Amino acid sequence: MSVLFYKAWIETRVRFVAGLIAAAIVCIFYMEQHGWLVRMWTEDMQNPHGYHMKWMPLGIHEYGWYLWHYLYDNYLQQVWILSAILFAFGGLIRERNGGTVLFSLGLPVSRRRWLFTRLAVALLESIALSLFAVIVVVIGSTVIHQTYSLSQLLLHTALMVAAGVFMIAFGNLCYTLFPGNYLSLIVTLVLLGAPYLWLQTYMQHMNALGRTPWLGYLNVAHAMAGPWQLNWSTTPWLALLVAWALAAVLLGATVVHGDRLDY
Amino acid sequence: MTAVIETIELKKNYGNHEAVRGLNLSVHAGSVCAFLGQNGAGKSSTIKMLLGMIHPTSGNGSIFGHRIDKERESLLIRQKVAFVAEDKRLYDYMSVSQIIHFTRSFFPRWDHALETSLLERFELPSERKIRQLSKGMRTKLALLLGFARGCELLILDEPTEGLDPVAIEDVLQIVVSLAARGTTIFFSSHQIAEVEQVADHVLMIDRGKLVLDASMDRIKEQYRQIQAVFTDPIEERDLRLPGIGRVHVEGRTASFVASHNVDSIVEHVRMLHAGSIDVLPISLKEIFLEKVKARS
Repeated sequence: MSVLFYKAWIETRVRFVAGLIAAAIVCIFYMEQHGWLVRMWTEDMQNPHGYHMKWMPLGIHEYGWYLWHYLYDNYLQQVWILSAILFAFGGLIRERNGGTVLFSLGLPVSRRRWLFTRLAVALLESIALSLFAVIVVVIGSTVIHQTYSLSQLLLHTALMVAAGVFMIAFGNLCYTLFPGNYLSLIVTLVLLGAPYLWLQTYMQHMNALGRTPWLGYLNVAHAMAGPWQLNWSTTPWLALLVAWALAAVLLGATVVHGDRLDY
Repeated sequence: MTAVIETIELKKNYGNHEAVRGLNLSVHAGSVCAFLGQNGAGKSSTIKMLLGMIHPTSGNGSIFGHRIDKERESLLIRQKVAFVAEDKRLYDYMSVSQIIHFTRSFFPRWDHALETSLLERFELPSERKIRQLSKGMRTKLALLLGFARGCELLILDEPTEGLDPVAIEDVLQIVVSLAARGTTIFFSSHQIAEVEQVADHVLMIDRGKLVLDASMDRIKEQYRQIQAVFTDPIEERDLRLPGIGRVHVEGRTASFVASHNVDSIVEHVRMLHAGSIDVLPISLKEIFLEKVKARS
């Protein structure tokens, strides 16, 4: 079993390192920008003709909110999603294109074991990536002399991974359904990216109108971010359950389709 | 003798194309069985069905008594069977030693002595990445990974493709030595000379149907090329007898391959007033061409 993990790891390690670099860049950039943005918001707030938003006082006074808003509710989340679906990219369909699938299928390993081993490695790498981001934030915040709640960082990390399994499952189904390395990757990014961006914009608009439509439960991005102060009662349990249920359905579809494929 | 591989009315369709059409075959324990056929005859599809890589459209098959269409039983089959595919591409990011270590971990009966001996014999550089190996070297490595598994059955799809004559000879010797140790060998090949050298049984497939199932001894003993010159012109229907396949008639001369019943056929030809009758031994290549032409 360990050699299957080893194989999945050496196939994805370059992508993993690239994901770590991207996450580090995003975290460092927004921590570095913190002082400048707070000064700009403060000036805006003091200027009657300046740009005024409800969240600005929070952004100025709560470093924890700032971290949540820029990282867990936006850019780190996006880097994490992109990295996670890249970590899950691969498998027997890709091996068919590369010509090694008959060697793999000639080994006494079931198709499901190939699938689950690769998904397990993708999940472990995604968890490692999110924990790496925590370490970068801890070090970066010390450098810029800002304080924050470590437990909140860890809770947001846990929530991002917990809801993000949907993204891994979705990407994995796309890789199984669509042949061609680049085609399947592009289709995955379009099918995930377009609703992700549209739903975020739509939900912001609805929130501004004071409405909470049922589509909100399908907003996985919101489920991954949660509210900025996360605890048992504020955790978006229903959205999380929907994400898990959808992930289970997608995974089941991948397994059934994968079992039926001819190589 | 026990059948190690058995198929019953095995069929595989790709859309409207029938790749394998009701194949009934059996391979006996301890034999070296060659699986011959033209490109696209259905050899690789049959092998892939046997190993659970593609699903039969209908029919059934078994290896060591395990059904090929059940995923759980297919797993048991692959524990007992070493397979070397026609496309011998391997994980090119691994080194030779890494892929040996990787493959070895799945087979508890891995033959370490054979592994060492083949590494030396094939001159495979342990630390070199597979992507840096030549096609021939990759083929040798794929064969090493199959031979050293210590399995009871070895299935080889075009094992010598891309090898030089020296390497081919090495591979054939290894096949013979594994067979001598009791391993059943089932291999497909286009190289009929190789088949004649090592096989003791031949299965021939054409357009998805089995057209020959015979031991090499029987082929050598019973198959004959018969040429006869008659005093008067004859017709093909005069030679429709059991044991005669396609008959080539040109004026007063007829030639055909007899698969059995040679003495009776010669007697029949004499009764048709043949002036001369030549009964000649026939090679496997000629039989192959005869079988393929007969169906086209």
